[in-house]
Amino acid sequence: MANLKDIKRQIKSVSNTQKTTRAMKLVSTAKLRRAEELAKRSRLYAEKINEMITEISARIQCLKVGGIENRCFQKIENPKMVDIVFVTADKGLCGGFNIQTLKAVKKLMRECKENKVKVRLRGIGKKGIEFFAYNDIELLDAVRDLSSTPNVQRSNDFIESSLEDYKEGIIDGLYIVYNGYKNIITQELHVEQVLPINVDEFDCDENAHSLLEIEAEDDEKMLDALMTKYVHNNMYYALINSLAAEHSARMQAMDTATNNAKEIVQSLNVEYNKARQAAITTELIEIISGVESMK
Amino acid sequence: METLQLQIMTPTGAIFDGEALSVTIPGEEGEFGVLPRHASLATLLQAGVVDIEMTDKSVESVVVNWGVVQVDETKVLLLVDGAVALRGDSESDIAKAIEDAKSLVDSASDSSAAIATVSAKIESAAQKLF
Repeated sequence: MANLKDIKRQIKSVSNTQKTTRAMKLVSTAKLRRAEELAKRSRLYAEKINEMITEISARIQCLKVGGIENRCFQKIENPKMVDIVFVTADKGLCGGFNIQTLKAVKKLMRECKENKVKVRLRGIGKKGIEFFAYNDIELLDAVRDLSSTPNVQRSNDFIESSLEDYKEGIIDGLYIVYNGYKNIITQELHVEQVLPINVDEFDCDENAHSLLEIEAEDDEKMLDALMTKYVHNNMYYALINSLAAEHSARMQAMDTATNNAKEIVQSLNVEYNKARQAAITTELIEIISGVESMK
Repeated sequence: METLQLQIMTPTGAIFDGEALSVTIPGEEGEFGVLPRHASLATLLQAGVVDIEMTDKSVESVVVNWGVVQVDETKVLLLVDGAVALRGDSESDIAKAIEDAKSLVDSASDSSAAIATVSAKIESAAQKLF
């Protein structure tokens, strides 16, 4: 039977851990609420820009002989190199949140390899960067402190270099992989192909009656502006969505940890009481047998 | 009276979402006004002031830096990188909004003439607030 003192120390240590996990859960809950609000607000913008880009690009595609010239809207038959941008958290202790994203990145890399497409990895978030450093996989770009404090300017600067490379023909595709927020208890993994933008699905006949007039001198200029916005916004949205998901994942993980600690404390208490009872019984037997022997 | 549905969106949220009688927009090829039943069009914006005539005939101004606009018969949608509404409850709030608006325009445009024009517009819009 374990020593009484040892058990007592264990109980104390587990309850201290429980206090920490509970505090972390509360912190995450508060932060989640803010992040969720932010994500909700920029979702509107994301939806609108998607609508607008589909409508305008389809309009131009249908009207213009030879289709759109902009490389971002063209189908690329034999891609040679693609950029994969992944977003992970800067901190751990959030269950399977980061590892899910990283697994998806590895899967995508494998698929690219099978199709003989070279991959350039660009990472945001300390956890993902450390993972690939540990696995000896080279990252083209590694940005920390952006996933915990998303910032429009920094996010635009980051994705701009991929966009430039795409326009110049250095890369033939751009993927963003992140774990997004679905609701308070579920995260949803997103593997999004941002470039090239697919305009094939659009039905020209249906829109022949649309009276939309494109005012900018040059259609392509308008498309270019829209497309830049679209790519920038996709990146920024991925960041804030991922932040909300990170907090919800952490909240859950810490909730589970708190419950587990509670269970451990309970079972340790039972053990402690048993040990105490055993000690008392032994002492009693000793006293009684002492008395018996004196008779 | 007929109104149009106006939305001004930035990546961090909607700056304006509501009914308006008319709206003046700083298009790339010059400022243009939009009334209800305007023909559909899409164009680029430049840094400038969007004047919104509200349903009570008062005018509200929003400073935008760069973006695109899509107009159709019943609604106007502006997607911009950054926007500051020139409004506030107290004088200090308004002064702060003006400061923000100026720095927004400063960062958006590199021609000093354009900045000066927009700044002047901001000032005159702000005059009406006090």
